[in-house]
Amino acid sequence: MSNFLNQDFGDASDEEDDFNPAPADASDDEATNNDDTNRRQANNQDDDDDDDLQPNPRRQSAQSDDEEEDAAPTTRRPTNQDDDEEEEDDEEEDDDDDDEDEDIGHTRKRRRKGPRNQFLDVEAEVDDEDEEEPDEDDEIAGEEMHPDDLLELPAGAERDDRKHRELDRQRDLAASMDAEKQAQALKERYGRNRAANVDSAVVPQRLLLPSVDDPHIWRLKCKPGKEREVVFAIMKRIEDRAGTREPLQLISAFERGGVMAGNLYCEARVVEDVTSALEGLQNVYMGTKPMMVPITEMPDLLRTRKSKSLEPGMYVRVKRGKYAGDLAQIDEVESNGTEVTLRLIPRLDYGLNEDINAAADNKRKRFGFGANTGPRPPQRLFSENEARKRHGRYLTKGTGFTANTWTYMNDTYVDGFLIKDFKANYLQSEDVNPTLEEVTKFAADAEDGTENLDLSALAATIKSNSSGAFLPGDHVEIWQGEQRGVVGKAVSVHSDIVRILVSAGELSGQIIESPVKGLRKLFREGDHVKVIGGSKYFDEVGMVVKIVEDRVTILTDSNQTEITVFSKDLRVATDSGGQVGVGKYDLHELVQLDAATVAVVIKVDRESLRVLDQTGAVRSLLPSNISNKLERRKNAVATDREGSEIHIDDTVKEEGGEGKQGRVLHIHRNFLFAHNREQTDNAGVFVVRTNGVKTVAAKGGRVASAQAGLMKMNPALQRPGAQQAQAMPPPRQMGRDRLIGKTITIRRGPHKGLLGIVKDSTDTHARVEIHGSKKIISISKEFLTVRDPITGAVIQQSAGQRPGGPPAGGAGGRPPAWGGATPGRFGATPRPSDGGRTPAWKPAAGGRTPAWAGAGQAAGGRTAYGGSGVSSAPAWQRGGGGSTAYGGQTAYGGQTSYGGQTSYGGGTAYGGGTWNPNTRTPFHAGGTAYESGSKTPAYGMDAPTPGFNSAPTPGNLDQPTPGYGQYRTPAAAPTPGAFPETPGAWSAETPAADGGPGYD
Amino acid sequence: MSNFVPPSQHRSLRACMVCSIVLPGSRFRREGCPNCEEFLELLGHDDAIQECTSQVFEGLITLADPASSWTARWQRLDSYVPGVYAVKVTGILPEEVISTVEAAGVKYIP
Repeated sequence: MSNFLNQDFGDASDEEDDFNPAPADASDDEATNNDDTNRRQANNQDDDDDDDLQPNPRRQSAQSDDEEEDAAPTTRRPTNQDDDEEEEDDEEEDDDDDDEDEDIGHTRKRRRKGPRNQFLDVEAEVDDEDEEEPDEDDEIAGEEMHPDDLLELPAGAERDDRKHRELDRQRDLAASMDAEKQAQALKERYGRNRAANVDSAVVPQRLLLPSVDDPHIWRLKCKPGKEREVVFAIMKRIEDRAGTREPLQLISAFERGGVMAGNLYCEARVVEDVTSALEGLQNVYMGTKPMMVPITEMPDLLRTRKSKSLEPGMYVRVKRGKYAGDLAQIDEVESNGTEVTLRLIPRLDYGLNEDINAAADNKRKRFGFGANTGPRPPQRLFSENEARKRHGRYLTKGTGFTANTWTYMNDTYVDGFLIKDFKANYLQSEDVNPTLEEVTKFAADAEDGTENLDLSALAATIKSNSSGAFLPGDHVEIWQGEQRGVVGKAVSVHSDIVRILVSAGELSGQIIESPVKGLRKLFREGDHVKVIGGSKYFDEVGMVVKIVEDRVTILTDSNQTEITVFSKDLRVATDSGGQVGVGKYDLHELVQLDAATVAVVIKVDRESLRVLDQTGAVRSLLPSNISNKLERRKNAVATDREGSEIHIDDTVKEEGGEGKQGRVLHIHRNFLFAHNREQTDNAGVFVVRTNGVKTVAAKGGRVASAQAGLMKMNPALQRPGAQQAQAMPPPRQMGRDRLIGKTITIRRGPHKGLLGIVKDSTDTHARVEIHGSKKIISISKEFLTVRDPITGAVIQQSAGQRPGGPPAGGAGGRPPAWGGATPGRFGATPRPSDGGRTPAWKPAAGGRTPAWAGAGQAAGGRTAYGGSGVSSAPAWQRGGGGSTAYGGQTAYGGQTSYGGQTSYGGGTAYGGGTWNPNTRTPFHAGGTAYESGSKTPAYGMDAPTPGFNSAPTPGNLDQPTPGYGQYRTPAAAPTPGAFPETPGAWSAETPAADGGPGYD
Repeated sequence: MSNFVPPSQHRSLRACMVCSIVLPGSRFRREGCPNCEEFLELLGHDDAIQECTSQVFEGLITLADPASSWTARWQRLDSYVPGVYAVKVTGILPEEVISTVEAAGVKYIP
């Protein structure tokens, strides 16, 4: 039955026919007679028997099949009679096909490429290893036999035998052949056929989507960057194992490089194939289980983003090398698209960094293209002068048409730009996002020097990310495609598809979808819009004045200028243009321009800043020119010309000059940036030196004078003679505060009038136990009056003795003390001057003499002797008598010298020495006192004054070593006191306990 | 002939722009493209190799069994020989080569 149909396939089975005659001819000589007889009795079983003589048992069945087949045409026996046998036969025939193909080789194949191979291909494709084939083969065999039987029986008989033999041989071969290999051979054969015809290539890709029958894909992790190696390693392994007992069952493996770095994908039927195939492979992380990729996601794995075609004029970024990250403009694209000529701003150091590793680094240079030692030179246009300085021999004038072409170190420079070839894969063409600054560098090179920003080039670069531009609510217009002209409002945006509610026309009210590509935003003149991206006018707000296609001209709110932007970069704005441009730097901020220059921002423009630097110069800068922002240091301190502190937010006034006054914004080194609201130039900001201003008002009412001027703490300025009559440091009190344990009354405050004992003290405060309440309170020392615990008499001295004590206290206590010294002192110094002085001291002096007396009253200073040994000590004890005690000392000195009045004077000289610190204290306290003092030689501390001379030195030196003092004294010799001084040194030890350390 | 390429030679790899097979440049010169040699005639022609193969490609596929692999089908590699292929080859074939390719019955899909 089916044979009738198959009859038509005679053509198709010519494959078989083709080869049959050939062997038949060849074997004609072998045994024609036999063949003849055999053929005549084609259906005879004897034939089978004859053939059976050949030993292969398997062959028998095949043979019998053949017989049957041979018989088939004549008997018209249904083909499905002997299924089993046929099955076997199928396989064998199959094998036959393959083997014969291979055996007979190319000649036949070549022939097959004739007109008939179409049919063959169809056959090959349809029934790879299907069940249908057997039938066909069956019938093919039948067909083969049929004409043979009918037409040339003798030949046919002979052929039969031959076929058997051939079959036999092929079966042997087949047995030796690996099943895998067979399959491969099969595939290859069919594959070749297909390749010639290219069926799959024309099938649209969506029809190639994976189905459940396809192998699965598993994802594995591998070492990022080693994907390629892994893929090749797998390739190698596949090839190595291909011929072995256990070939890899992996169907394919792939990686996607940078897109999905660290991932490896394997295609296989079951997961075990993957794991076994990749076992022990380097750089593959088998720790994580292979993850199966869902069928729906499989195409995504292989999705290639169509790389943007590179066009001249476009901006790209260089991915690696010296210019990594730099913006470049495409100058030229090589025809095969893999090489691109770029225009770059060169980074050259003109050999400034090279001398260190001059000769030796040839190798390294070659090795690391990007591994440049040293810092990356900044971007600067090429300058032949620079190049000539050190590398004149590398520089040659180019032969280009334009004059400004140079060749330097094997690179070409045109108009200052570097022209260099790059591989396309070293370039980043997406997400370039050139900033305006970068672009302007390229744009600024127009012949006439004007900036000609190539908007279209920029647009080509920026075009990509337009999908985000549409938002629900935007009025849009379709301007491409069939629905062109439709106007509506965006309802929703889904990646690239915008759903639009049509607002006008016949589609009105309907919702249609449109790809972003064909959409543009619709604005009307008069709309208030805001620039939302894409250009340098970012965030600008203004009114639409003109629309040309998709370019919209806006009159900006901020500065009433017209700007033109793409409509996609606009949105209808509700807010009006309150925008602060650069954002990074704010008004009045302190910024660092270079290592030595700081400046304050005085104006923030859209792209530039105006700054006032420390020299008072005003500059306009791009934000990129600013190296960084300096934080406002809240507790920065400076000193004004009087030594008072200046803090931020204090009000200072310029002394001299314009007398500008302002609030301090920043303190930087010795510059103040201050701001004055009333001033108009430089936004009210001015810069002054700290030593040119005076603090007018301190922030928070901090009394400037209350603090000791910093200047006076500066030891450098304290050196005698460093500045005119700078004072020595006040004698510091070391050790126990003498106030402790003293009985005091409180002069001020809520506890005024109460009596107490000082329990503890700090520099400024004392903790006082009040007699009445046994309460301990903390109270400023200024408010204390020391009293004699028994008599209750006020003891003047104490406060005055407190060196660190507030000047106010000093004012009270010191002058008398001072006074106490004065007489003696002036006894030493020439009287005349003293005479003039004393009246000035009158108020104090008035008190002084009595004080002296008072002191005497306590210690018996009057009687020098009396005071010396015994009573001077108690005088100290009381603390009342710094000076009194000294008085005693003086007396003491007098005692030794025995010099009567003169000796007394000498004592004073000594006392003066000891006292000098004290004398200084007052003029610390009051500038005026000092001033007047400076006039007198004694105060002036000038060398001529013996009193002075002796003053510092004896304090330090004389006291410990009398002998030295002796030496010293000649300087002071003019005064008779020289004599008494020596002993004074000895005696000084006692007071030195107090006053002495003060010198150190 | 093994398709394995040691990592040291990875720099010299080139991908055929027609079939996207990845081989070292030297092999293209020595043996030509195993899939496209009939019409590209790369064997021994350095110029042709320069024109028809590209050093710029992304993603590598090692293909053991092109016929049953979905990956191969999707990438339209199923009729090619087993080997290593690129997922994407960047480059532009010269016009005349494209016409030759088309004439050879291969649909060139960039």
